[in-house]
Amino acid sequence: MTTLLLRLAGPLQSWGASARFVQRTTENAPTKSGVLGLLAGAEGRPRDADLSDLAALRFGVRIDRPGSRIRDFHTAENRDTGRALPLSDRYYLADAVFLAGVEGEDTFIRRLYTAVDAPRFLPYLGRRSCPPSHPLLLQDNASLSSLPLEDALRNTPWQGGRGPLSHRPPREQPPAELNMLLDCPPQDTPDIQLRDTPLSYNPSHRRYAMRGIQARHATASAPVHDPTAHLRPAPTARHDSPAPPLATDDF
Amino acid sequence: MYLTRFRINTSRSSARALLASPQRLHGAVDMAFPKPPPRDGNGPRVLWRLDQAPTNRINLLISSPDRPDLTHLAEQAGWPTLGTEGWTTFAYGEFLNKLAAGGEWAFRLTANPLHYIRREQDPPGSPTKRAPHMTVGHQIGWLIKHQERAGFEVLPNEQAPTDNDTKADAGAEEPPMQWRYQLVVHERTPVRFPQRAERSKSRRETSSSPGADVRFTRATFDGQLRITDLAAFRRTLTHGMGKSKAYGCGLMTLAPVR
Repeated sequence: MTTLLLRLAGPLQSWGASARFVQRTTENAPTKSGVLGLLAGAEGRPRDADLSDLAALRFGVRIDRPGSRIRDFHTAENRDTGRALPLSDRYYLADAVFLAGVEGEDTFIRRLYTAVDAPRFLPYLGRRSCPPSHPLLLQDNASLSSLPLEDALRNTPWQGGRGPLSHRPPREQPPAELNMLLDCPPQDTPDIQLRDTPLSYNPSHRRYAMRGIQARHATASAPVHDPTAHLRPAPTARHDSPAPPLATDDF
Repeated sequence: MYLTRFRINTSRSSARALLASPQRLHGAVDMAFPKPPPRDGNGPRVLWRLDQAPTNRINLLISSPDRPDLTHLAEQAGWPTLGTEGWTTFAYGEFLNKLAAGGEWAFRLTANPLHYIRREQDPPGSPTKRAPHMTVGHQIGWLIKHQERAGFEVLPNEQAPTDNDTKADAGAEEPPMQWRYQLVVHERTPVRFPQRAERSKSRRETSSSPGADVRFTRATFDGQLRITDLAAFRRTLTHGMGKSKAYGCGLMTLAPVR
């Protein structure tokens, strides 16, 4: 089994799972259908192509920077007829960073990796108007991992730092814990359910199946400064014992 | 030497009063020592710092030559029955004894970076004045300037820029100060408070001088260092670095590099 990791970072992202009609909402994290659609597009599959191999991949996402939700009151008109299109509210995640991973059979994952490296259709973050601001693939082949999905997500360094170029150190400290949302194994009870497993992207009839999700936590790999973890508690002072000798050291 | 970690109960109003005033917190730390340490400037001194820990905890760290008794503080601003999780004193001296030159450590230092200047309008030869370093670049420059005398060196950032990045940066000759070291500066705050917090009204009226406020700039450095001069470094850890040591600056702590 091999895992492919993608860094999803951009000024705006929008990952709809239950968005219908004029309320185009977004989930808090990338959806399986959104990321698999990105991979299918990178491979150049047409909209009505078979997706069963992609949908069988195990999917998980780590929330490195949750971002903030913003609403766009959307007005548009048909250029040919001049008639206004329905007014809609479109929701986005601003300034968010995610690490998404798919786990599957080795040759297939490597094929997806080369496809993302030179995509046939341009990738976007959930909505066509949301281009990624960083390369999707991590540096130094870190995107391909031989670890299982959960370990690969845990072991990858935090991507949420603000430095736009790779050699800049992050300006901020990572949070102590990062949230992860993983596909639930069939024998377990899911924490959340979402209708975002793609069955068909055919624009005339898109179809999605339910997906069970487990919520997990990962510690950010950049360490939190704890100056006392490696020290031994001082023995409690007894009234009959003399002052401890260390206190009289010359430094 | 002892290092003490005290967890502050931020939902108590007396704790918030302490957090709001470095002056009061200085007093509270001072009260933790039945025998005040000598103030002649030779021996190790009491240093303290407020540290933001994960899950919104605020810790008070105290490094001191004598063992502090924080019972009064636990009753005022902590959890009196929490035991060692509320406050623990660690054997710092044995850790300092085990330090070796060349060792690499992750460090955190809250300090007051400043320099001495003579402004243009000042007459030549007049005494110089303290002026705070306000920008990230200047504050890192302050630490780099004082690192040799303090007995350590901040590790350089060895991640070489890739080709694309060098092209993008072609205009600048060398990268800015903050990219060259494994160092982050955060919580850069100007601090200002009246010199006597509990001053009575009549005294304020009689001794009203407009410059009576205490003002300094505080910055927290997180990074990685290598010990170069062991004796000087031990002195840095126990005597503090920079100014405003009474008000929560100058304490450097170490943690293993992960």
